[in-house]
Amino acid sequence: MAAGIHGRLIAVLQELRRIPDVLAVALARRDGLLIAHVLPKSMDPKRIAAMAASIVGTSEMAAGEMGLGPFFQSIVDSGSAKMLATGAGEEGILITIVRTDANMGLVLLSVGKAVQAVSNLLEEAAVEPEARA
Amino acid sequence: MLDDRLGGGFPRTSTLLLFSDKPTEKRVFAENFVVEGARHQETVLYVDFYRMPSLARAELSRFGRFPQDRLVFVDAISAQLMVESAEAYHVDRIDSLADTVDVIVRAIQEERPSRVVIDSMEFLSDRFPRDALLDQWRRIIAEAKAAGSVVCFLFINWTYQERDLGAIRALSDFVLEFQSSMRGGIVRNSMRISQMAEGGVRTNWIPYTFKDLIGVTVYFPRLMVTGPFNAGKSTVVKALCEKSVSIDRMGTTVAFDYGNVNITGIEAEIFGTPGQERFEFIFQIFAREVSGVLLVVDATRPEDFERAKHMLALIGPHIPYVVLANKSDLPGALKPEAVAGQMDLPDGTPVVATVATESKGVRDALLILAEMIIGVR
Ligand SMILES: Nc1nc2c(ncn2[C@@H]2O[C@H](COP(=O)(O)OP(=O)(O)O)[C@@H](O)[C@H]2O)c(=O)[nH]1
Ligand SMILES: [Mg+2]
Repeated sequence: MAAGIHGRLIAVLQELRRIPDVLAVALARRDGLLIAHVLPKSMDPKRIAAMAASIVGTSEMAAGEMGLGPFFQSIVDSGSAKMLATGAGEEGILITIVRTDANMGLVLLSVGKAVQAVSNLLEEAAVEPEARA
Repeated sequence: MLDDRLGGGFPRTSTLLLFSDKPTEKRVFAENFVVEGARHQETVLYVDFYRMPSLARAELSRFGRFPQDRLVFVDAISAQLMVESAEAYHVDRIDSLADTVDVIVRAIQEERPSRVVIDSMEFLSDRFPRDALLDQWRRIIAEAKAAGSVVCFLFINWTYQERDLGAIRALSDFVLEFQSSMRGGIVRNSMRISQMAEGGVRTNWIPYTFKDLIGVTVYFPRLMVTGPFNAGKSTVVKALCEKSVSIDRMGTTVAFDYGNVNITGIEAEIFGTPGQERFEFIFQIFAREVSGVLLVVDATRPEDFERAKHMLALIGPHIPYVVLANKSDLPGALKPEAVAGQMDLPDGTPVVATVATESKGVRDALLILAEMIIGVR
């Protein structure tokens, strides 16, 4: 059952990965463990999952502290790419890396869809992380 | 806390030299010193060469309320400005060293203050010959001793050679050196206390800060709380700090814990790290300018002790640390000595049994760490 969910999660990530200018996609748990990824070999998926969890944890806390309303997404805007860390349900973080000149309208729409699909799947079953640290 | 280590503060009839490269940093310490005396209903004497006493009084209101009538001024400024002084003690002939010191001596003899501040000696060293000044310096010390006062000389040296400075230090019981440095736009003030007597205490550089209404406190801009996962780090930060934030998700600290503590003359910013390996990158962000470390271990899990030592190493070498043998309430918890043994800690490393969930032992550990950082332990 859990294995089935894992396959379906990967499918969602892969679909998002196919959008033009999307370079890499991963799914992490809020405590920084990796759930699934379609990242290039040059990236360390576990480290990225942990860092995304720190970014989201800190952003969410900051949003609360400043009274900004419910947290949705953190964007790390850098020289050649952007990283979007988007809350996916209670437990997930969807990490999407896109080219810096990407069509953000299309990207955000696709990320929104993927987040919805991921949240549903995560709710369906308590997913075991890929590996325990 | 410092006071305790110096045997209940600076003993009566001692001579302090407050020495620095900038004027304002040490004055606040001297002001704090007289205000504290006044708060104890003691008479205190402030000799001011630079400010009108009315201005000085206004500035001292930053310290909050204290009995103003206990604070007596020697006005050594009005004569410079050629205005009438409103103070009982005022220097009329500011161009005469002997006359100036006569007024100070008379004030000491008549008021018998518990504390005297001379703000400051470079005013005199700039204007009068060295040997004559040193004679008068000794005279003030002798009079202060006779009156049972602690006398505190502020002094910025820009004229004297090391040899003369040595003579001035030798006149003093304690030398307090002040330093301030700027790093990344943040000013850090620190001071170091040396007891001049043979085998006297010599502290490390102690960072300090000034706060309105509170005064001068020891200030550690960064203490780290680290240790293995689930040892109780976040609980320790909560126990120490009135208000704290923990960026925790699903029972795990994913970024850091942060809180500010304020206890008995110490203020510190406390940063807790996550415990798991996957968050080690956090250390690169926070493990800078760390004054000291509280290393938290679960005393029932010796299998995590190696990990604890690794985390300590991540923060850096030569940083003072205290080990908290936490969860000492649980059955099978190792005693501090056993923890020290199993961790193979260097001799003398403090290990404190704690129950973070009940705030037990946590403060003691912090105070021990503070003493280690300051260098009085
Ligand atoms: N019995 C006991 N439990 C503790 C103590 N300190 C912390 N805990 C519990 O240990 C768990 C982990 O604590 P936490 O502070 O989150 O650990 P961290 O991972 O090191 O930050 C929590 O359930 C705490 O309530 C203690 O002194 N005694
Ligand atoms: Mg924690």
